[in-house]
Amino acid sequence: MTIMQHSNPQESRSALFVYLKNPLLVAFILIVLLLTAGEALSPGFASMEQILRLLIVAALLGIVAAGQNLVILGGREGIDLSVGGVVSLSAVLAGNVMDGSNANIIAAILVCLAAGGLVGLINGVGVTIFGIPPLVMTLGMLGVLQGLLVVIRQGIPSGLAAPALANFVSKPFLFNLPGIIWLWAAVGLLMAFLLMRTSLGHKIYAIGSNENAAYMAGVPVRLIRIMLFALSSMFAALAGICILGYSGTSFANVGDSYMLSSIIAVVLGGTPLSGGKGGYTGTMAGAFLLILMQSILTTLSIGESGRQVVFGLTLLVLLLFYGRSKALRG
Amino acid sequence: MSRLKLQQICKYYGATTALASGDLLLERGEIHVLIGANGSGKSTLCKVIAGSVRPDGGTFELNGKPVMLFGPQAAREMGICLFYQELSLANSLSIAQNINLYHLPTHAGGLIDDAELNKRAEHYISKFETVIGEGFTPDAPVAKLRPDQKQLVEIMKTLASEAEILIFDEPTSALDRSQVECFFSILRELKEEGRSIIFISHRMDEIFDIADRITVIRDGTTVSSRLIEETDHSTVIRDMIGEQPEAAALEASLAPQAEKKTESCLVAEGLSGAHIRNVGFSLAKGEILGLGGLHGQGQSTLLRTLFGAEKLQSGTLLLNGEAVHPTNPRAAIKNGFSYVSGDRVRDGVITGRSIMENVSPIHFLKDKTFLAFPSVLARIIEPALGALNTKYSSLGASISSLSGGNQQKVVIARWLTNPPDILLLDDPTKGIDLSAKSELFALVRKLADEGMAIILYSSEDGELLAHSDRILVFNNGSVSRELLGEDKTRFNLYEAAYSGAQ
Repeated sequence: MTIMQHSNPQESRSALFVYLKNPLLVAFILIVLLLTAGEALSPGFASMEQILRLLIVAALLGIVAAGQNLVILGGREGIDLSVGGVVSLSAVLAGNVMDGSNANIIAAILVCLAAGGLVGLINGVGVTIFGIPPLVMTLGMLGVLQGLLVVIRQGIPSGLAAPALANFVSKPFLFNLPGIIWLWAAVGLLMAFLLMRTSLGHKIYAIGSNENAAYMAGVPVRLIRIMLFALSSMFAALAGICILGYSGTSFANVGDSYMLSSIIAVVLGGTPLSGGKGGYTGTMAGAFLLILMQSILTTLSIGESGRQVVFGLTLLVLLLFYGRSKALRG
Repeated sequence: MSRLKLQQICKYYGATTALASGDLLLERGEIHVLIGANGSGKSTLCKVIAGSVRPDGGTFELNGKPVMLFGPQAAREMGICLFYQELSLANSLSIAQNINLYHLPTHAGGLIDDAELNKRAEHYISKFETVIGEGFTPDAPVAKLRPDQKQLVEIMKTLASEAEILIFDEPTSALDRSQVECFFSILRELKEEGRSIIFISHRMDEIFDIADRITVIRDGTTVSSRLIEETDHSTVIRDMIGEQPEAAALEASLAPQAEKKTESCLVAEGLSGAHIRNVGFSLAKGEILGLGGLHGQGQSTLLRTLFGAEKLQSGTLLLNGEAVHPTNPRAAIKNGFSYVSGDRVRDGVITGRSIMENVSPIHFLKDKTFLAFPSVLARIIEPALGALNTKYSSLGASISSLSGGNQQKVVIARWLTNPPDILLLDDPTKGIDLSAKSELFALVRKLADEGMAIILYSSEDGELLAHSDRILVFNNGSVSRELLGEDKTRFNLYEAAYSGAQ
């Protein structure tokens, strides 16, 4: 009898725990709760227009987080701390190449993606060929990029978004939704297809789960990891272009906040930092949730520094919950 | 009165019996050799004596008095010291500190007395003076030493315990001939002083060189204990094998048909690498070539080298008449190789992913597929899993939800989507259940009959004898003997494995 009495609460507690262990579900519950709380704090918070505004900001983060997601999925402590630097670089490059003219949009996109690809390639080669831990490699890269931007621009706003780009980001484009939201949806579809319906997706999960087993099964581990870093920087570059469209001009530090927030969005969405499981759908929810939190904190008149503290704490709490669910393999 | 008397010592780990009935009588001034096949329980018995494993039953008498040991420290206080097979050195400390680890000399305040430390270390180092090699000074850090030098430090550390009963569990595996001889002369001196020594080795010549008495353990039970004058190589080997009529019958019934397979598809000459030396063989289509011998004699390394996972330093490899150089698994797979590891957690299972994702990689590689639609993949994956009678709920289920045997089947199924020409099996049945084992070997034989060339290493000698057409026995990285036809018996396998090259 004693055993029975003991086992019942135990079971119900573990059932609750199973639900809490489903990060996607938790993220959606939190989104609804936060929207409700926001509406209570300041009526109109959960209005359609406001949600749309949040979605635009979330899309910018979500595109950066797509790349971050890929690098983290690839395992072996994969992380890309240089995304913020690439976002800034890309915004500055795009602004200067475009210089306010629609005619230069294509050229600007090409230049930015190429620059991003190059940065990612260097990250990937450093990590795989020279064996530099991703944390160190990408942090070093971030330093280099920030230094470069300071030297080039001295912190002065520069460049000008082409009108078409600005419209694409913030004005209704199709079915009353801005283009950036369509772009984010496209990125989401592309990521889902890549991860779940292509052999490359299988291989990314394989190297993230058990790199040695993947290697023994003929997966080109290094090539794929380099590719992940390159894709990460290219997604960041794409986001940088969109951010230029969002703000009209570009600053050398416009991307700084994306380093931490892109990681939080990924982890919030259920991809553990140890890699090998999770996916982009969760990350999209994570990005929106994060932007929602940010907005609530703003509503509560908590400044930028306060928000950073809250974000940092969020990441720590998340890692406590999800990060340890799978120990890193030695 | 014997110095040490163990009777019916037993030790269980869950359902596994490590030791069923271990008996041992150790006299004063005796070098007593323990021998038995892999996993027979020798090391467990030694650990019981040294206090690092608590027995589940039996009697233990030291100098005629029953004792209970609570840990290695207690055993050392009673004058028992064990040399561990897995070296237990503190890598960052100096040679002198390691040698004195059991009794660090200290000043009154508790600080280490370096002068005394070095003096004592010098004493033991000087015994090995002629064979220690370069850089072996008391203050040198152990981390920088060669494997044989580390083994010598461990030996010196054991000697420095000055225990009355010294146990050496495979102390000579990394040593060369002159080092072994030096060590043996020291053992003989200790014996003259009246100490008792227990010695484990797999090298038959060494054993007959040093032993006063040989005790054979089989399946956790002491089966014989004879004075050296009363025994010889074949008696020891017969004791190790025992009477196994069923196994012998099985081995005979599964013995291969006449050698009709002559078309060789893989010819290796002079293969050398980190743990293999000058290995040569020829493998025919439809043949199952067995690799035998003691653990870790290069069998696994050879397979991994053929697969490109270990570096091949020299030698030639002809695949269907064309030279190939295995540089990495990917290249080897494209050449028609496949590899199944017994260490499926390290080399096989893509942890936490679905069964489908665990089977798909070879198909992707060989068919150069980019799209991965589950419905299309299922048509390729299901037959492969079916060939092994794999039990699973759905292809999307996580591989971690399966039993060990079924996980291994999934890993093997990966190769069956696009059958290879050569299948390398590296102890493939390690840790899987009996029915999975027999299904696996039935499949292996079927694949061979269909013309696949197979190399099988198994740590279970019975498996090897039953399922291979021909056996290469490995000793210290090279092939010491080839067993085929009527010579392919357990006796010959043991003799070749334990007695070394012929």
